[in-house]
Amino acid sequence: MVNIRVPFVNLAAAYKNDALAISKAIDEIGNSGQYILGPNVKNFEEEFAAYIGTKYAIGVANGSDALFLIMKALGIGPGDEVITQPNSFLASAWTIVATGATPVFCEVDETLGLDPEHLSKLITPRTKAVMPVHLTGNPARVDAIQALLVGTGIELIEDAAQAVGARFNGQRVGSFGIASMFSLHPLKNLGVIGDGGVITTNSDDMYATIIKLRNHGLIDRDHCEIWGYNSRLDELQAAVASIRLNKLDENTTRVRKIANKYSTELAGIVNLPKSYDRSEPVFHNYIVHTENRDALQSFLHGVGVETKTHYPIPIHLQECAESLGYKVGSFPICEYQSTNSISLPIYPELSDEQVEIVISEMKNFFKKAP
Amino acid sequence: MSKNFLPSQYENDKKFSVQHNYLAEQFSDKDLILEKIREVVTQGDFTLGREVDKLEEAFAQLVGAKHAIGVGSGTDAIFLSLRALDLQPGDEVITTSFTFYATIGAIVTAGGKPVFCDIEDDFNISIAGLKKLITEKTKAIVPVHWSGRPCEMDEMIEISEEFGIPIIEDACHSILAEYHGKKTGTFGITGCFSFHPLKNLNVWGDGGIITTNSDEMNTKIRLLRNHGLTDRDHCEIFGYNSRLDTIQAVVANHLLGKIDAITNARIEHANYLDKGLNDVPGISIPERVNSLKEVFHIYSFMAENRDALAQFLRDNGIDAKIHYPIPMHLQPAALYLNYKKGDFPNAENAANRTLSLPVHEFVKPKDLDFMISKVKEFYDHGQH
Repeated sequence: MVNIRVPFVNLAAAYKNDALAISKAIDEIGNSGQYILGPNVKNFEEEFAAYIGTKYAIGVANGSDALFLIMKALGIGPGDEVITQPNSFLASAWTIVATGATPVFCEVDETLGLDPEHLSKLITPRTKAVMPVHLTGNPARVDAIQALLVGTGIELIEDAAQAVGARFNGQRVGSFGIASMFSLHPLKNLGVIGDGGVITTNSDDMYATIIKLRNHGLIDRDHCEIWGYNSRLDELQAAVASIRLNKLDENTTRVRKIANKYSTELAGIVNLPKSYDRSEPVFHNYIVHTENRDALQSFLHGVGVETKTHYPIPIHLQECAESLGYKVGSFPICEYQSTNSISLPIYPELSDEQVEIVISEMKNFFKKAP
Repeated sequence: MSKNFLPSQYENDKKFSVQHNYLAEQFSDKDLILEKIREVVTQGDFTLGREVDKLEEAFAQLVGAKHAIGVGSGTDAIFLSLRALDLQPGDEVITTSFTFYATIGAIVTAGGKPVFCDIEDDFNISIAGLKKLITEKTKAIVPVHWSGRPCEMDEMIEISEEFGIPIIEDACHSILAEYHGKKTGTFGITGCFSFHPLKNLNVWGDGGIITTNSDEMNTKIRLLRNHGLTDRDHCEIFGYNSRLDTIQAVVANHLLGKIDAITNARIEHANYLDKGLNDVPGISIPERVNSLKEVFHIYSFMAENRDALAQFLRDNGIDAKIHYPIPMHLQPAALYLNYKKGDFPNAENAANRTLSLPVHEFVKPKDLDFMISKVKEFYDHGQH
């Protein structure tokens, strides 16, 4: 068995740093006997809204539910279309299907984001929302997308699952659309120790509707105004999220430093991640492209460097998407990227030494490669 | 900023000397659990981890089902079961009007039209009523074993088989309850359990589990709960995200070792209250039936002058609760279904008269005596 010198993730190391604070928080919650929608959720919501720069934040069970609840609150359902991108995680698409609406995929560009030019051709009278994904923490072209939507009544929903803290034009992502979703899944830049998610919005109406929808549609213990869902951020996870929010900027600085190092050292041997001007990405993943992807990946695994591919099969080519009628060749850029992308390890606990190992092994491979 | 109403509710509950909420007492046993949680998190095993596998196996065995599948909540358990049946918009799902909102929320979310049914004296769905509601559009029956008392399953299964309509049991209240010696959650195509903090078997947040004897439902629900993924890179069907957290499975596994004791304590407390309250004029306790094992997630009875009694008990430090004062067909959310007052007289009568007292494992004998004496005192004084 290969000795793993650079694991792709190291959640245990992250937990070690927070273990004391988390134990204390669990103690307090246990002694209070209040595990659901208590003071910890309230505190986290206030802190998170302040951090993103929105009026409200709403804790929910996970990032997928966040997208689903936003669309339900907008009244999106059967017969409606929602545009998103095919290179994202599956939840970007199934949440649309779950509302009864139809997902419409849009081609991406070299930043992995929604291509505004292709988007303009996809808008129909049935389009109710556009859901760009700030994939890998790299902000989408929010300005160009917003410009297309002005006066159309089509809402912008940001899928910021991977992009907590990223900025576009100096403004945090998650504050541009009618509402935005963040995931607190353990692997995210701001991750908890189970499933969790959060919605941000500046809209009083969206806030009022979503806090009902996440808790059975209740307006008080005895009155149910709309049939709702059960999608609540656990108190315990909210406490962990607050503890980690305090360290987020420090962590982001560290991953940006690692990303810069990768980009400086790997320039010329692989296609580096690209961002728009005025974008400040947060590198949830550091994805490079190379036509030697499979050989590179197996070489790296052989020398103890774990990598992943995000994602090897785009959503439009998944079995689940058959009925949507897409085929190989529908989105050439997206398909090219999925065949050639490789994600290198990137997280705050990665040591300088480990970063050097990744770089030197990458260079070794390309020295040997024909 | 936040309009979350629950914090204030908990604050109010804390003022009582005899409470429904026993979680602080339960937490005194926390060290073993915390130790296990530490292990899980230092392994980075946060979603669908080994503790979830272990719980699923143990829970299936406990209930006597072939499979158990950990999910995000009891609500999601019902929702995912209905989705696994491929409910289509307009399909009808028959359920009781005397239940918690989540039963209906799950049906509506799954695309179904809830069709309400009245209840019998045991607070459970009326079989005679149920049979009359079946149409060509009926795709499922969702009985609720309300308060932990099993529904009349023999007759329901007869109807289910006659019309070929599957039963999805809402067993969120009824872990370890038995109908004719067989546990709830094993009669329907699935059984849906909640681990909400105030359930007989609880976790430290939201959680739930589905039991089934059907391999097909098991496979499908496992796909649906995790994005439809067959492995990291392949999605067979568009799914959902509804997973029991690994750390919550740790809590459930720990309490699973105590569920017999918890259940027996509840039964003992309920029996004691039954005896003490049985002869009180103004109180009407559901008839107990030998062939049923009730697990008393809620201990409730019908009370004359209910609201005044509830207030009197609360004034005396007893956390008397009403589960629930407005039946589902009269909720604002049900307006579009066009029901009206009088449609389900039994459910409406129960909503007006039901009252619940705490019987959890931390209720002390003196608390039980105190509750009995206060109820008696209320009626002795001419109902105030």
